[in-house]
Amino acid sequence: MKRIMIDDSKCDGCKNCSAACMQAHREPAGSIYDLDMSDPKNETRNHILADGKGGYRPIFCRHCTLPECAMSCMSGALNKEKDTGLVRYDEKKCGACFMCVMNCPYGVLKPDTLTRTKVIKCDFCLEADSEPSCVKNCPKKAIWVQEVQA
Amino acid sequence: MRHVIIGVGAAGMTAARRIRELEPVAEIVMVSKDEHVHSRCMLHHYLSGHRDERTLNFVSEDFFVRNNITWLPSVAVQALVPERKNLILTNHQVICYDKLLIATGADSFMPPIGDFPTASNVFGLRNLSDAQAIGAYIRPQGKVVIVGSGLVGMDAAYALLERQMDVTVVEMAERILPLQLDEVAGQEYRKRFEQAGCKFLLGRKASETVTDGQNRVCQLVLDDGTTLNCNLVIVAAGVHPALGWGLGSGLEGERSISVNDCMETNLPDVYAAGDVTGLSGIWPNAMKQGRIAAENMCGFRMCYEDTYALKNTINFFGLVTLSLGKGQVQEGDQVVVSEDRHCYKRAIIRDHKLDSILLQGNIDYAGIYQYLIKKQIPLEQGQDIFKTSFADYYKVRLDGQYEYQL
Repeated sequence: MKRIMIDDSKCDGCKNCSAACMQAHREPAGSIYDLDMSDPKNETRNHILADGKGGYRPIFCRHCTLPECAMSCMSGALNKEKDTGLVRYDEKKCGACFMCVMNCPYGVLKPDTLTRTKVIKCDFCLEADSEPSCVKNCPKKAIWVQEVQA
Repeated sequence: MRHVIIGVGAAGMTAARRIRELEPVAEIVMVSKDEHVHSRCMLHHYLSGHRDERTLNFVSEDFFVRNNITWLPSVAVQALVPERKNLILTNHQVICYDKLLIATGADSFMPPIGDFPTASNVFGLRNLSDAQAIGAYIRPQGKVVIVGSGLVGMDAAYALLERQMDVTVVEMAERILPLQLDEVAGQEYRKRFEQAGCKFLLGRKASETVTDGQNRVCQLVLDDGTTLNCNLVIVAAGVHPALGWGLGSGLEGERSISVNDCMETNLPDVYAAGDVTGLSGIWPNAMKQGRIAAENMCGFRMCYEDTYALKNTINFFGLVTLSLGKGQVQEGDQVVVSEDRHCYKRAIIRDHKLDSILLQGNIDYAGIYQYLIKKQIPLEQGQDIFKTSFADYYKVRLDGQYEYQL
């Protein structure tokens, strides 16, 4: 399966990945120049944290080999796809119980801020393009897509 | 090899999927009392009218076809004959197995109060059949009394308020959701429920019933003599393993089926998983037990390790809460509270380790707390528990998977 690989030593916390994620999932579509980053409708599926020592920690969905989120989903909205290895999220099936948020050991998931009716979850930008937009927009090449055994 | 699974809940379905992954050509037969595969945790969405039989399904509609599984719905097991390795069903069909998984779950516990066990308008809320039966009594301004303010009781209250019913909740404790929430967090939900028209009688027990000529409870009498008129009663007072037939078959266990770490029962080639084992049957644990059982049924020796079960999330009126641990303060504990207009947080720290945490209003990225509690990770002096994140334990493996650096 493909996974977004991370070299945190290269990350300088510019958050281009987060902006790119917001832009990729915004509605209605538009250009990056009119993306309203303060609109809670435009949420990022990844986030960057400072390590307190001048470094940064990029937090991206791992589409885990044994995904705790999918293993706690009571509606069947979260599933690890056999052929791609990606953990896909079906918003229509979701029961908004947020057991997945509690069970993700890496604190990647969150409920949507505005309605608390869905989960903010990386979809690998599958609908849009060949490569996730966070990866395309990282100026430091701190993240890249790689085939891994999982 | 023929695998037979009784029950199509979280444990049974997870086991079936895993067996199919491990043994592409094995025969798999599933038997269930249920006519529809459904998520028990979402029955309140059925009561509220937001979901139907089809949308309560937690697997794809073509699950059985796609996984080449024979499913016998709407039929119960009458007996297990371990010497002949077969099951006798209530329709007199006999099914042989090489490996058997019992994942029959649990049924609502009906306390012996007045006519609760026999009245026609008193229900638990555990199976779709319960929800379907309750459905016949739903009408605007109809009076429903819900006994118990745990998650099931409050789910039912939430759904029936949406259907404009007149809802009263009776709870023994002095606050709602007493196992999951403290006074402050419970009060936030109570306010919202009351604004929606819900009435609460706290610190009260149901003690007697008055039944009309048609075997329906029309009044509920509480321990202080209060009388409540009702058209419908929902009892949310816990569950007990669904095992009417099983323990006479030579299966060991008292009220539930005893299993070892591999989910094996005392009978050869017979496994059990989920609520029927008396281990925690909360959804994620039931899925894990089902998966472990499946792996052992296919000959891989695996143990059920992640047994932590004191965890819940709650979402009513768009107010989300995460609750981990018992939430009981002991002498010597450090209790940390943080509050603002949108959010209430409380952590109990015992011997420099996180024991319990309650987050209400904002649970963003809070997945790490369960790990800290389960693994009993020592906290550092002065560490702000509410600012703790995976960044504090960050490590990326060569294959890109995260792990904790401790």
